[in-house]
Amino acid sequence: MDELMAILTELRPDVEFEGNTELIDAGELDSFDIVSLVGELCDTFDIEIGAEEIVPENFNSVEAMLALVERLQED
Amino acid sequence: MSFTSVEFIIFLILVMMVYFLTPKRYRWVALFVANYVFYYFAGGGYFLYLILTTLSIYGATMVLDQMIGQNKRAFAQVKDELDREQKKLWKANFTKKKKKVLLAAVLFNFGILAVLKYSGFVGSNINAVFSGLSLGISVPTYDFLLPLGISFYTFQSIGYLIDVYREKQVPERNLAKVALFLSFFPQMVQGPISRFSQLAEQLYRPNAFSYDRAKFGVQLMVWGAFKKLVIADRARVIVDAIFGFPETFTGTYVAVGALVYCVQLYGDFSGGIDIATGAAQILGIDLEKNFERPYLATSIPDFWRRWHITLGAWFRDYVFYPLSLSKFSTKMGKKARKVFGNYVGKLFPVLIPQFIIFFLIGVWHGAEWKYIAFGFYNGTLIVLGILLEQPLSQLADKLGIKRQCFSWHLWQILRTLALVAVGKIITRAAGIGQSVSMLKSMVESWDTSILFGDGLLQFGLDVQDMWVLTIAILVLLAVSIMQETGISIRTTLAKQNILFRWVIYLIAIFTLFIFGVYGLEYDASDFIYRGF
Repeated sequence: MDELMAILTELRPDVEFEGNTELIDAGELDSFDIVSLVGELCDTFDIEIGAEEIVPENFNSVEAMLALVERLQED
Repeated sequence: MSFTSVEFIIFLILVMMVYFLTPKRYRWVALFVANYVFYYFAGGGYFLYLILTTLSIYGATMVLDQMIGQNKRAFAQVKDELDREQKKLWKANFTKKKKKVLLAAVLFNFGILAVLKYSGFVGSNINAVFSGLSLGISVPTYDFLLPLGISFYTFQSIGYLIDVYREKQVPERNLAKVALFLSFFPQMVQGPISRFSQLAEQLYRPNAFSYDRAKFGVQLMVWGAFKKLVIADRARVIVDAIFGFPETFTGTYVAVGALVYCVQLYGDFSGGIDIATGAAQILGIDLEKNFERPYLATSIPDFWRRWHITLGAWFRDYVFYPLSLSKFSTKMGKKARKVFGNYVGKLFPVLIPQFIIFFLIGVWHGAEWKYIAFGFYNGTLIVLGILLEQPLSQLADKLGIKRQCFSWHLWQILRTLALVAVGKIITRAAGIGQSVSMLKSMVESWDTSILFGDGLLQFGLDVQDMWVLTIAILVLLAVSIMQETGISIRTTLAKQNILFRWVIYLIAIFTLFIFGVYGLEYDASDFIYRGF
């Protein structure tokens, strides 16, 4: 969780991530942020995130992103 | 059968009656029949291509479904014996197999679109090269009549196919239901491009009649017709004059033409979408939003998030992400970070896909070099915007410019509008050469005096028409600003007393009848995006 928060706050220091459940739906993270974020997540957690995983449900909140990372680590 | 014709209104009333009178379990069949009746009358009987797309997409999704089922069963049996690397390899092998089916269906369907839409353009360019080289040979060129809505239903069907391929969507096993999803009549003229997950269930379920939904639907259709008939078709007269006679209308007239074309295109396209959305709403179906007040955008990326939203989202999900997350892009990004540093390096994986997207958006608009130039123009603006964002923001801080105030927001909107208007000149002028000379004349022969006196009465619209257009645009602007601040006009209106409501309804209807531009020459072909 801490590693993920560190990545997110470095990427977008202006966005309040904690408790936010509409990061994509409210347009707070755009497609360029997502590409950078996915690159960081893949490097940090040694996972592969394909385009099929880029759906709002996986990135709308920090918890959703964490769940995605954990699922892909288990796969 | 145009959206703004009496025939369409009669057709819609008939569809409504038949749909809601049909027993619940067969309502989707009524809708399916209505779609093909509409396609027959509006599309001139060009069923073949729609049927080919429907059959090929159905076939491919069924094959994928079978493969996915078999793979799941096989994987479940060996899963516990495989380590992480072996599981990855299994997945990669299966993806390869699926990809073959995907590629075959994508190539077939985009192949139809490419042949019908671009073979004339490609052929004439090849001949131009042959003639330039004095080879004395030529290839035959064909200009096909485009079937109604081909770009829209092709994109919608490919989106559905990719969702099935990605195992994000369970495919529909009933062929007629797939055909219904790919032919919903309100979308057939100019979109929006829907996702299966968003639209299909709404089409298949038996929707019940709702007075409130029907009322909101009719209101939206009237508003769409207002934008199309009162604003766009009137603005068109000015645009046709200025772009039709670029030697006469130079200097400031070019800026007037570009801005009025912005208004025309928005009125035409979003007006048509409102009519489609309203018609669907009457039948209990919500279509996806395609516009969100694009001319109030504060940057070019913001504009593209608000303009033709469903096309942008399609390219983002099915082209941009796969390209920018590909191994090639990621590697390029890592290398670029070493060479150019963290800021530019991080942007590398997105810059090239961004250019590719805008090239494709340009090509999507038409088979002409000017549309490719338009794509390149937008791609360049976005890339420059990203690269200059940090230095410009530092410069603004140094100069002490306040950026959290109304004046800065207004400046951002006007700046974006000016850049968008230049793009519109590129697409509306007869060719790249003409747009360059128009832009040149705008800068060199700027003369504000034409905005006063009779300067604006040279296009074929009289004083009364100019006033109608101006007031109508102001109404559109006022409504847009209200919506931007979160006010829902239709909900607010519904809360008012019946007398007030009906005064507004009658004013709207009389405005349409009195000030709408009608005539024999106005038919469905006049919806600009119908041709795409």
